[in-house]
Amino acid sequence: MALAEFLKQLDALVAAATAAFDGAADEASLEAARIEYLGAKKGRLKAVQKFMGAVGAADRPAAGKRLNEVKTQIETAFTAAQGRLGAVENPRRTGEVTAFDPTLPGRSLRLGRLHPITQTIEELKGIMGRLGFSVAEGPEIEDEWHNFEALNIPLEHPARDPLDNFYLAVAGAAAGTLLLRSQTSTVQIRVMEQGPPPVRIITLGRVYRPDTADATHYPMFHQMEGLLVDRQVTMADLKSVLRLFAASFLGSDVHIRFRPSFFPFTEPSVEADFQWHDQWIEFGGAGMVDPNVLQMVGYDPEQVTGFAFGLGIERLCMRRHNITDIRALYRNDVRFLRQF
Amino acid sequence: MIVSWNWLKDYVALDMDPAELTERLAMAGLNHESTERVGDDLAIDLEVTSNRPDCLGHIGVAREIAVLWKQPLRVPDPNPAASGPDVAQLTRVSITCPALCYRYTARVIRGVKIGPSPAWLADRLRSVGIAVINNVVDVSNYVMLECGQPLHVFDLQRLRGPEIIVREALPGEQFPAIDHRVYTLEPGMCVIADARDPVALGGVMGGVDSEISEATTDLLIEAAEFSPLSIRTTARKLALHSPASYRFERGMDPLGVDWASRRCCQLIGELAGGQLAPGVLDVGAAPASRPAITLRLSQLPRVLGITVPAAEVARILQALGTDRVTGDQATIAVIPPSWRRDLTREIDLVEEVARIYGYDQIPEDVGVPMVPCHRTDEDRVLEKVRQTLTAAGFDEAVTTSVVPRPWCDAFSPWSDAAPLVASTPMLKGADTLRKSLIPSLLEARRVNESVGNETIELFESARVYLPRPSDLPQEQRTLGVTSGGDFRVLKGVVETLLETLHVSVPLTVSPTALTLLDPNRQARLELGGRLLGYLGEVDAAGLKQFGLRCPATVLELNLEVLGQAADLIPQQQALSDFPAIVRDLNLVVDESVRWEDLATTIRTTVGPLLESLQFQEVYRDKKKDGADKKRLLFSITLRSAERTLTNEEADAARDEVVHACGQTHRAVLLG
Repeated sequence: MALAEFLKQLDALVAAATAAFDGAADEASLEAARIEYLGAKKGRLKAVQKFMGAVGAADRPAAGKRLNEVKTQIETAFTAAQGRLGAVENPRRTGEVTAFDPTLPGRSLRLGRLHPITQTIEELKGIMGRLGFSVAEGPEIEDEWHNFEALNIPLEHPARDPLDNFYLAVAGAAAGTLLLRSQTSTVQIRVMEQGPPPVRIITLGRVYRPDTADATHYPMFHQMEGLLVDRQVTMADLKSVLRLFAASFLGSDVHIRFRPSFFPFTEPSVEADFQWHDQWIEFGGAGMVDPNVLQMVGYDPEQVTGFAFGLGIERLCMRRHNITDIRALYRNDVRFLRQF
Repeated sequence: MIVSWNWLKDYVALDMDPAELTERLAMAGLNHESTERVGDDLAIDLEVTSNRPDCLGHIGVAREIAVLWKQPLRVPDPNPAASGPDVAQLTRVSITCPALCYRYTARVIRGVKIGPSPAWLADRLRSVGIAVINNVVDVSNYVMLECGQPLHVFDLQRLRGPEIIVREALPGEQFPAIDHRVYTLEPGMCVIADARDPVALGGVMGGVDSEISEATTDLLIEAAEFSPLSIRTTARKLALHSPASYRFERGMDPLGVDWASRRCCQLIGELAGGQLAPGVLDVGAAPASRPAITLRLSQLPRVLGITVPAAEVARILQALGTDRVTGDQATIAVIPPSWRRDLTREIDLVEEVARIYGYDQIPEDVGVPMVPCHRTDEDRVLEKVRQTLTAAGFDEAVTTSVVPRPWCDAFSPWSDAAPLVASTPMLKGADTLRKSLIPSLLEARRVNESVGNETIELFESARVYLPRPSDLPQEQRTLGVTSGGDFRVLKGVVETLLETLHVSVPLTVSPTALTLLDPNRQARLELGGRLLGYLGEVDAAGLKQFGLRCPATVLELNLEVLGQAADLIPQQQALSDFPAIVRDLNLVVDESVRWEDLATTIRTTVGPLLESLQFQEVYRDKKKDGADKKRLLFSITLRSAERTLTNEEADAARDEVVHACGQTHRAVLLG
């Protein structure tokens, strides 16, 4: 077939189709016209398209170009007619015969969940980050200097008892006695050893103590520890930061209360409570960094002061989500994990 | 420490409500555990921190009350009358282990009459939960609960010599204690012996042989000071904890030793009669004098953030029992009382002032300066990893760091070094610090299978502990993933992670032979020559070892290598506005042809017009293609940044691919 012949057929088709669509008086006649011209199997456009193969190879690009234009014109005319008749067809609905049931459930997306401990940690990191505390990390396996000595816990202190720690049985270790850290305070020491003040960090991570596992104890748990060392840091700063922290975590203003306590690495040492719904809730231990600790990392206690605080993540997490048995956190039953 | 309300009234006026008392004490350092009514008395249980052994007696608690309520404290001054031969003529005392027993004092009373205690004494002991025995034993307990100094009373006539030798226990030495059990002692423990045998385990428990009986008439009253560390180890080793050992572990008031001895003799005299021998045998180190501590008043605002009036500072320190040495507008120097060994430094005095003045005086709304705060790259990478894995349907697990040794041996791809072992198991049978997260995740699969969970898709981000000689172990931040899907499911996870983290270094896969994994379905993953991790399907033996019924695939990645390859701030690339053209291909190749090799050929052949190469499917049709053949179906998407590609160009590219694959891989186009 000659190119001219093919183009003529196309022009005729456009004219006929446009007229049919424009002339359709209702949806039914428009649909009939659609099938006649645009039908997938026996439509007239499809029929004309078949003649493409008969066009000479040299003319084929020109024929194809025109065919595409014609196709667009006819489809435009159809859409215009559809718009005129007010029946914009949902392309997914073609051929649908049964009634649509909107109450069928949606197709489910199986998203995984973050562990509730991670969710709590991320929440805490976010809050403390907004308060200007950067995250620092340190090893979980520690030497006695960082876990005890530098924290003002001398050899004869009960906290160093082998029954209260996971010491590692390392034969002839050149690194000295090692243990799984019993507190995240070790990271304070490492950060301060690495650089001069000011220091404003939090550290979060796993800590280990040989408790028998029961509903409220587990030999591995997570702690968050905060440290701020600078010139002119006072207990009023500590109280204010804890209040901002607690208010951010709970989403409403709270008050902070200090009760005297005793920790080797802080002096004064306090237990911090926050008041929420007329109830005092234990927050964790806190205090001003002991001058001995500052000296041991090479800071001058006459120049800088600092505060530190620590809290157990599991307790916060369990209270937040009403988890009653700490062991559930480490059983990893998918039904449990997917509740959060 | 349980204190009796009535008893406290001996030393300080209690005009307040009991609830007010306990509330205020808690705010000053003595936490309130509970209050119980016992007869007409109240038993108030207070938690005493280990630095405050002075509050392990009623007088110490009364002193806190006196300081807080600004009341006078009334402490008895016992000076019992003595007569007859001097104590030195009646017995002897020596210490041969001054490191275990710092000081030992003995007094002697002869001719007492053992009998029941009077009601007031019995009531007080019952109020605080102490068994009532007889007048002499009850008095020694009473004095301990009064001042915190434990005492022991021996039947003098049952002491051979009669003498007291304070010495270190011999290896294997047998000691029959007052609880009618025999303990095997060892060096490091301090025994009180008579001329022949141990009669008491110093500071921990008395002996059965010399205990006070109905027939006892002559007493030796011991008041001593033992090494806290020795007492603690002894009590722990023998699992023998007593009110005495509890107090000795925390340290004694050196000046209180003799007071307690006199007080005990005074009360025995009043309640059991007898004749107190003049003098005291006092062996060992005399109490050392304490240096003065200077408190600069400027330190109070510097540390506490509040100013405390100088007069109030002076009052608090004085009421707590310190001796003022000097003082002016700016400083105050005091010698701390003998019962407060925890006060040695200026900062200790700051804490004393703070807790009595009240922490409620410290404001909670001061302006803390703002500072910049950055997130670490490690945190950013981990966040993206977690987002990707949760989006892919994996739930996050948290498993313990210490595992049973067989788990560690089952799979340890990162290090061949012997694992670190804890001297105490963390949980039953688990004493090995893990070198891989995979065994723990397989255990989590088992738990989930056992409760009938069908979809078990888990990941964990944690450290593995890789021993290094003469250094702390390497704690490698590691990602473990386990799926019920096959190799390609987890490989898809790796590829998605690399895509999400914009890793431009190519991933390479090489064969490996790890135990636990199917030999034919495992791989070692590398990023630019650095080991990224391992991936594989657990083999039948592995499933059996971990008690699994369903297939499992595992993936473990070094998060540090992944993070270092990540591009956390991707840059925009220009997009082409011209249309893309897709061509589908179906090539028949030998089984030995690897996709990666074919893909390299395709990429090289098409060149820059190749926008993407998508693997579709592999399948086999032995009848049509013959044995040892497979069909690889894939699509190539072509696009130019400069113009619209023609169908002819696309076809030509396809033909070139077919040709090149035919040349290089003996591939044949199908259909």
